[in-house]
Amino acid sequence: MAAGSALLVGLVEEFVSGQQDSKAADTATGLKAGQFTILQLVEALGLHLASSQPQTRARGVQLLSNVLQQCHGDLTEREVDVLLAFYENRLKDHYVITPHVLKGMKALTKCSVLPPGSAVSILKSLFQDVHVQSLMLVERSCVYNILTQLMESRESELKGLGADFVFGFVQSVDGERDPRNLLLAFQIARKIIHGGYDLGKFTEELFEVTSCYFPIDFSPPPNDPHGITQEELILALRAVLTGTPRFAEFLLPLIIEKLDSDVQSAKVDSLQTLTACASVYEHKELAEFLPGLWASLRREVFQTASERVESAGLAALGALTACISRSVLNSDSEDYLNVFLDLVLKDCQHHLCEPDLKLVWPSAKLLQATSTASYRASHRVAAAIMPSLIEQYNSRTQVSHTSQLGHSISVSVDARQAVRQRCLTALAAVSSRPSVVQESTPVLLQVLTFSHTGMCTGSFSLEEVISVCHNLQRIAEHAQDTEETGRVFHDIIIPRLLGLALQAAMRDHPSPLVEESVLSAMVPVISTTCARLQSQLAGQTASRAVSLFLDGDMSFLPENAFPSQIQLLKQAGDSWRQSQMVCLLMGCVCSLPRSVEVPQMDRLLLELEELSCTCDHPFSYTSAAKCYAGLVNKRPAGESSSPVAKALLLRYHPLSTALTDKLFSLLSDSELGSLAADGFSLLMSDSPDVLNRGCNADVRIMYRQRFFTENSAKLVQGFNSAAQVLFILLPLLLEALSCPDQAVQLSTLSCLQPVLMDPPSALITHAKTLIFTQRFFCLSLSLSSQKVRIASLRCIHALSRFPEHEVRLGPGLVLRALAVPLDDLKRMVRNEAVVARNEWFLLGSPGGR
Amino acid sequence: MSGGARLENANPLIFQRTGERLQTANDEDEDVADPIDDREIFDILSVSINDPEHPLSLEELNVVEQVRVRVNDQENTVGVEFTPTIPHCSMATLIGLSIKVKLLRSLPERFKIDVHITPGTHASEDAVNKQLADKERVAAALENSQLLEVVNQCLISNARTG
Repeated sequence: MAAGSALLVGLVEEFVSGQQDSKAADTATGLKAGQFTILQLVEALGLHLASSQPQTRARGVQLLSNVLQQCHGDLTEREVDVLLAFYENRLKDHYVITPHVLKGMKALTKCSVLPPGSAVSILKSLFQDVHVQSLMLVERSCVYNILTQLMESRESELKGLGADFVFGFVQSVDGERDPRNLLLAFQIARKIIHGGYDLGKFTEELFEVTSCYFPIDFSPPPNDPHGITQEELILALRAVLTGTPRFAEFLLPLIIEKLDSDVQSAKVDSLQTLTACASVYEHKELAEFLPGLWASLRREVFQTASERVESAGLAALGALTACISRSVLNSDSEDYLNVFLDLVLKDCQHHLCEPDLKLVWPSAKLLQATSTASYRASHRVAAAIMPSLIEQYNSRTQVSHTSQLGHSISVSVDARQAVRQRCLTALAAVSSRPSVVQESTPVLLQVLTFSHTGMCTGSFSLEEVISVCHNLQRIAEHAQDTEETGRVFHDIIIPRLLGLALQAAMRDHPSPLVEESVLSAMVPVISTTCARLQSQLAGQTASRAVSLFLDGDMSFLPENAFPSQIQLLKQAGDSWRQSQMVCLLMGCVCSLPRSVEVPQMDRLLLELEELSCTCDHPFSYTSAAKCYAGLVNKRPAGESSSPVAKALLLRYHPLSTALTDKLFSLLSDSELGSLAADGFSLLMSDSPDVLNRGCNADVRIMYRQRFFTENSAKLVQGFNSAAQVLFILLPLLLEALSCPDQAVQLSTLSCLQPVLMDPPSALITHAKTLIFTQRFFCLSLSLSSQKVRIASLRCIHALSRFPEHEVRLGPGLVLRALAVPLDDLKRMVRNEAVVARNEWFLLGSPGGR
Repeated sequence: MSGGARLENANPLIFQRTGERLQTANDEDEDVADPIDDREIFDILSVSINDPEHPLSLEELNVVEQVRVRVNDQENTVGVEFTPTIPHCSMATLIGLSIKVKLLRSLPERFKIDVHITPGTHASEDAVNKQLADKERVAAALENSQLLEVVNQCLISNARTG
């Protein structure tokens, strides 16, 4: 290959002597083209490489290294072997040559055909012959790159070096200052730690050579072309320091020491590093340092003015707690978690109860951090502080912080049900101020959402969901009526409730939110809100609800993933899940203050009437009817039907008479009789969810009394009808007698007495007459008004005509009982008692009746 | 009416009944206590006890008069003097017993009831008074069903519309 060699010689000459750098590229091209081999190049360089001038030698090596950089992939193993021997040897040469030697070595290490054993020999030579920190920046980089490359390709071989490798690395890095190089060095160190390299007895050295940079304090120069940030360095170093539990004994004291620093970023870095290592360590690494760590963390959270430091500290505490919670208990070891938590509680618990509020929040946050770390911790912390929190609430000290705590404890969703329940209840109990309401209600809503989506591991029972609704209602009932609170309820809570219920209704899979008991528990939340909080917003809620139910307008609901067409007030086939939502509509429109108008009233009434008549799902049609009744009650004039009678009755509408007549006429109907009697019950009873004063309904006083007075004749007629009617009406009359309203009692007694004087046979044998007797006696006592006492005594007198009665009661009982009103304060009462008692004496007595 | 065909006092003097007691404002007032007074006792006795022989009340026969009724509510005592229609009236004991029974049935237990014949109006007033004053005697008498029957018949109230 004479031409090749001639070319080669020429190129070499031009490069080395002629100082033409471009010839290197040409040489590489030639090599690649196969015009000559690498070893021929070495031979051609021979003279120059042996020159007595270091610069010449350097130039020679430079050419070779440049070519190798281009062509290392084309080399054979033998060639690499030879070259390596050469290069290793050159490491001992003059320092001006070293940069080129390193460059060439770097290229060689990239060869895939690197012979076995070369990695070790390269490193040995490097560590032996090169003092890395004396090199310039680029050369040092080169060394690190060589290390990195070899670790990547020849890992097992390097591990064969044992601890010497680590030692060599430590020596190379010791004192490095350049950030780019440090990044490389940290990456190598990290690889050493994670790669399973034998640290031998150099663990501490490795730690020290890296930890001396902790905490990183680096300000990149302006216009830095390399763009290395402090954050990158921090993270790279952190990965090293926290990489192995073997560093724990060195790292933890370092962290404690650095936490003392005045520099905020140092504190934050320390705390974040602590958090990172806690996830790797076990309790045994932390054990001896826990008191010191806790003291520092506590100090940082108590004294801090910086939110960053505080949140880092809390995160660290959480990580520590989680780490300790993971520890496995031996039967003879103490429970490490309890020991640690005792420490925490000892320092924090009493602050919660102190009147000095300064330390309340930090203490609460510390406790929160520990309790959210693990289930065991949450249980322990909650059990320790809930009693004192509840006691403190009861003694009415400042309790806004307790909501925060309750919030956090309940957020740890894996907590056991009882703990959760107590927390939620306590939360509701303390939520009267607007700021607290804003904190606590999201928690409760979250529970509802989770229960519906089934999102947490310990699923919520029906009782819990209902209890959440009760708690929400409690908050609505006791919270101060401010715009803030009003917005929370009207703009967040009610739309969310409606949205969740609608979601549950639309889907097929089971959810607690389709249960009647749950929906019934939701209603008071809505109705209390509308009745009490911010009437203007209540009007808005009512409008939205009406739009939703009449027109399917879902725009105000939080999640809009619903089918476009819904008709909640129509029941078709199996859509009871949707139609039963009408109870929520009732909550929205039937409890509004008088000043608020319900939009589209006519249409609403029409649809509700239809739903209540045509629907066959009991809860749905009952709710629709109640809603209807509630709306009608607020109207100046209107049409009527069954429970509407009550609505009208309450307002004493003239039409009500016709209605009640109708009900009376139905009493004797064999089929509808009992329904009619139920209707009477409904009329006379207090309905908690719709028609009473609590719902701003129009309640004219003494409606019951009016009813009885006007209808007593009909009632008596009812008695005289079939015995079945009697059976139905007697409970009603009994209830009327038990009613606290004296006017009602009087009318009932007045209408009963003539019946008793001339009783139908069915009445005489009826078991309930005994109860009536008892009731009469109660009423004859001085608690009632005079007129009632007189009327009841007359009824007792009338009962003397019941021979069976006397048998049941026993001869002396009535007489003894009647002895009491003989001494009544009022003469007229005494007169009646005398008459009654004397009649009773004659009963069954010789010469008597 | 008991026993025999011949009446002892075939043509008794009939006195006018006093009118119904007038009600006062205090009667209506819930908070004002009405003390038990003479009139009240008188009303108990007068209207509803019939003379054994005549379909007339004791009041109408002047057997009982309001002036002869003394009650002390505070001291729990009631004293009733009754005047038999004729001095040898053999019904005196019965009348007295009826009065006593009526009062026993109509008054609170706290009252001590004294029933006796108006002095000087009956031949055997001492004996009768002694009987009436003897509690055990009275109780024994009332256990006698025949006697009780008679007493009860005296005490059956006239139709009272209430």
